[in-house]
Amino acid sequence: MNLLEVKNISKSFGDLQVLKDISLSVSESEVISILGPSGSGKSTFLRCLSMLEQIDGGSISYCGEEAVSSANGYPVYAGKKKLREIQGTFGLVFQNFNLFPHYSVLKNIWDAPVHVQKRNKSEVMTEAKELLDKMGLGDKGDYYPYQLSGGQQQRAAIARALAMKPKMLFFDEPTSALDPELTAEILKVLKELAAEKMTMVIVTHEIEFARSVSDRVVFMDGGVIVEQGSPKDVIDNPKNERTKTFLRKMQAEE
Amino acid sequence: MKKSIKKFAAALMAAAALILPFQGIACSAENSDTELVVGFDAEFPPYGYKDDNGEYVGFDLDLAQEVCNRNGWTLKKQPIEWNSKDMELNSGSIDCIWNGFTMNGRESEYTWSTPYVDNSQVVIVRSDSGIEELSDMSGKIVAVQSDSSALAALEGEDASEENKALRETFAELQQVGDYNSAFLNLESGAVDAICMDIGVAGYEIKSRGDGYVMLEERLSSEEYGIGFRLGNTELRDEVQTALLEMLADGTFDEIAAKWGLEDSVCLSADDQYADEEADGSADSVSGSSKEEKSFWEKAADISKQLSKGLLASLSIFLLTLLFSLPLGLLITAGRMCRIKPVQWLAKLYISIVRGTPLMLQLLVVFFGPHFLFGVSTSPSYRFYAVIIGFSLNYAAYFAEIYRSGIQAVPKGQYEASAVLGYSRAQTFFKIVFPQMVKNIIPSVTNEFITLVKDTSLAFAVSYTEMFTIAKQVAAAQTTIMPLFIAGVFYYIFNFLVAFIMERIEKKMNYYR
Repeated sequence: MNLLEVKNISKSFGDLQVLKDISLSVSESEVISILGPSGSGKSTFLRCLSMLEQIDGGSISYCGEEAVSSANGYPVYAGKKKLREIQGTFGLVFQNFNLFPHYSVLKNIWDAPVHVQKRNKSEVMTEAKELLDKMGLGDKGDYYPYQLSGGQQQRAAIARALAMKPKMLFFDEPTSALDPELTAEILKVLKELAAEKMTMVIVTHEIEFARSVSDRVVFMDGGVIVEQGSPKDVIDNPKNERTKTFLRKMQAEE
Repeated sequence: MKKSIKKFAAALMAAAALILPFQGIACSAENSDTELVVGFDAEFPPYGYKDDNGEYVGFDLDLAQEVCNRNGWTLKKQPIEWNSKDMELNSGSIDCIWNGFTMNGRESEYTWSTPYVDNSQVVIVRSDSGIEELSDMSGKIVAVQSDSSALAALEGEDASEENKALRETFAELQQVGDYNSAFLNLESGAVDAICMDIGVAGYEIKSRGDGYVMLEERLSSEEYGIGFRLGNTELRDEVQTALLEMLADGTFDEIAAKWGLEDSVCLSADDQYADEEADGSADSVSGSSKEEKSFWEKAADISKQLSKGLLASLSIFLLTLLFSLPLGLLITAGRMCRIKPVQWLAKLYISIVRGTPLMLQLLVVFFGPHFLFGVSTSPSYRFYAVIIGFSLNYAAYFAEIYRSGIQAVPKGQYEASAVLGYSRAQTFFKIVFPQMVKNIIPSVTNEFITLVKDTSLAFAVSYTEMFTIAKQVAAAQTTIMPLFIAGVFYYIFNFLVAFIMERIEKKMNYYR
């Protein structure tokens, strides 16, 4: 069974159509990177998957449960209760971390599992500390977000998402707010998660990052998926002219 | 953080609870059987004013006390804002106006007692001014109290042609709020003359010394009576009967003599030669009031009186915060509501409250129930009206401050909360509200400090807080020292507010 099944979704902001009839399937423990120039719709696509934006057409299923179905070309969202259940199946890591500044790092991690998922607090605390250790932040639990570096904040944000025990994790440009030397920290964490068979969809514009971590690379431009396949095929032997232009431009910058 | 808000709210409530009983005492006293609520301008010696000990005293209040004693009533002395006297009387919050109250020209507006004082309008000038008769006042600046008999004698509908012509010769007719500021103006040279009642003029000249003289010529003669609500002849007759009794047994003249008014009273016209002992007692009174006190003793006395008013100001401050802070949150919720009509309603409320003077709002809250719905206003409502008026007003300002604080919370915070599955209520109370509180502390501190100073506006509905008392003491003691001391009190009050808020702000700096 595919963990994520996206069929023919479209999204417009006013007159501007940002996503045009996009379909994508993600199978269990697959790591997918979505590449594309800015304005290609890749971030909007991820926000639609995270249900931060509502789609205008198409359907999305998570773990076989339909969150949005298509009826007569119009999207129909499931009931509130079902959507909340479905929400628990994925986590999202933001470009700007979006940690809660007034909570300590540890509370950022345990608060939602305890107050949203109603799990046992002492159990969650133990897990939260383990997660921090794993992220190399074992001694930072009592710190406030502003006392951490950007890379540390992003790792804390990943720990926060993991504490909800999601089936899959979405990343929205997780390294683009970081200095280049900190990108490696995050890459290392993502590789570890991949090794543990975590299913991940990563929006990024860093080609080397996409190449080293993903099973499949999706190249988007102009609101459509232009090309997809293994990193070798898409990054090293692109077939589409637009992919080639983008890669050339990116490599020239690096 | 949540704890510190709880602590703050608890402290506010505890402080309010400490103060409420004082208000409670004032209210419970009003419940005794028959009570005569006498309205008077507490800045009008010798008829009614605040003495050195902070008591309301005066000729009229002594008369009223004696009338109450004879009828077995309780006297309640209610200082009022003179401009609101008709609203006070008609709304039932006072029973009569007994305060050197001129009958001439107002004959049909009140149910009157018979006149008991003959009062004339006179002119006071500086001794060295060179003004000796009315014709010398041509081209001069002249002060009168607003809505006073002197003003009516010069400009009113019933003013004589002579006086109207005289007024035309003045360079300017300056209206002032009370006689104390009139004398400040005269002394400083801002005005050249004051027109006022003869009884008050005598008192002022006596207590202020040689610097001033009264012109021989008079502007007009007039009589004082006790004004009752139109048609309230029952109460009028009871008071009148007691007054005539007092006249018959000599008590009336004794009281008149005590206040140095023996030459002005007219209720006793037939018997005025009978009472010869007047002089002695009059001297003893003026003698005691002339006892010289050192500057610091005076300052200490004044501070003691003001500290009572400070308690009233403090209770306005604390109770207003207690109600307006949560009410503001409710209005913000309406203002940011997705339902359009609710949003418009909140917007309209904020716009009206911020667009009109607080003083006007206080008047509407206090007098509105009577004039809009015919409900009789009880005297204890005065305090509630102040709290309601202030709370409604400040809630509108707090609402806008909250809104700006909420909008300053980054969108990412809402998105992170949504993805983590927090409900809307959880998102607001756990994530947004605490960050809002931190955002708004500087603006809220500003409002707190403004509120401390705004408490003085309670005078509009004659609630005696610190500034009103300062003005009354200033009028009675003919000095501006009480106003300066009140200023010092306000400054200390605000210094403490600023200090506490700074501490809270520092505490909130545990995150950025």
